[in-house]
Amino acid sequence: MSKKVVISIFSAMLFMSSMQSSFAAAGTNYTIRVDGLACPFCAYGIEKKFKKMDGISNIQVDLDKGLVSVDAKEGLELKEDKLKKLFHDSGFTYRSMKITPIK
Amino acid sequence: MRVTLLKVLSILLITNVMSQAAFAHDPIFGQGPHVLFKDGFEVATELHSSKKGDELENEIGLEVKYGITGDWAMGVELPFEIKADDGNSSSGLGDAAIFTKYRFWRKDTLALQESAAISLKIISDTGYENETPSLGTGTTDSVVGLSYGYESRNWYRWASVRHRQNETNSAGLQRGDKTLVDFVVGIRPTLTKYIEPDMVYLLELNGELGDRAALNGNTVSNSGGDEWFISPGFMWTLKNFAVRGGIQLPIVSNLSGSQEKSDYRAKLSFEWHM
Repeated sequence: MSKKVVISIFSAMLFMSSMQSSFAAAGTNYTIRVDGLACPFCAYGIEKKFKKMDGISNIQVDLDKGLVSVDAKEGLELKEDKLKKLFHDSGFTYRSMKITPIK
Repeated sequence: MRVTLLKVLSILLITNVMSQAAFAHDPIFGQGPHVLFKDGFEVATELHSSKKGDELENEIGLEVKYGITGDWAMGVELPFEIKADDGNSSSGLGDAAIFTKYRFWRKDTLALQESAAISLKIISDTGYENETPSLGTGTTDSVVGLSYGYESRNWYRWASVRHRQNETNSAGLQRGDKTLVDFVVGIRPTLTKYIEPDMVYLLELNGELGDRAALNGNTVSNSGGDEWFISPGFMWTLKNFAVRGGIQLPIVSNLSGSQEKSDYRAKLSFEWHM
């Protein structure tokens, strides 16, 4: 196999590897089921608490479905006990969460 | 101190329309179990107006609340009174108050919250009682309360009972203790998303059951009795800002002796959560 072909294959493999790394660096979406969310004015406390955390963005609240969605930067992990406390301090009840890598 | 009849009547007629601290998404005149998120602040400006015969009372109040935990809040009230009665007028600081509310029970389900709370308010004697009409009661009084609330995306309901215990002032006048009962329903006719203007309409039934006053141990005949009010109101919110308002209209007045009946009471407040 010629040197040029080997170099081309090697370069392509390096390129694909770097693309995979950039996908993995995008962060994680947490979609959290919360009970007690009936009014938008009351939900403001949730947004305020998440905004105090470094690395959190794109805070969304769906009152009808009882869902709070946030994006966490790469390397930031939101633990369940911390989320339970956050929602309790906001005046609501944490039920469950779904974790999805952001692509 | 010699107490004139006019002074006694002036103090007795203090309606203390700010007898309940304003918590957003609670009734306008009654009380609900809502508190404030932990480490949150609420700043509220309240305007009150009441008319009873020839007596007109207006009040501008400032309230600041703090969320100690997600179920416990406390705050202070500073009222500024403007009064007119029978050709006399007065204005100045009224009776400042401190209050606290603890939500001891909460049941959260999908898009619904039921809860109950107890409350305590201490109303000081900072208002100058020697003005005519009097700006304060000259006593430090207390109000204890118990409230229940049901809050869903469409419907609200509340029930509460509060008892105000009045002390005796330096002239020997004790205003009659008062029990307040409230039943409230509310509706959000249009379901809105989180960052959208939101409107809830309320209808309250407010009862005030008052004991007779006493002056140096002698019952004041023209004092005490019961009044019931029907009170339409609203709550409009946008994210962390709320406007609330309502008007109390008397439907039953069973006042002892010869007393002026209430004509109306109105309230408008602006609240910010921070």
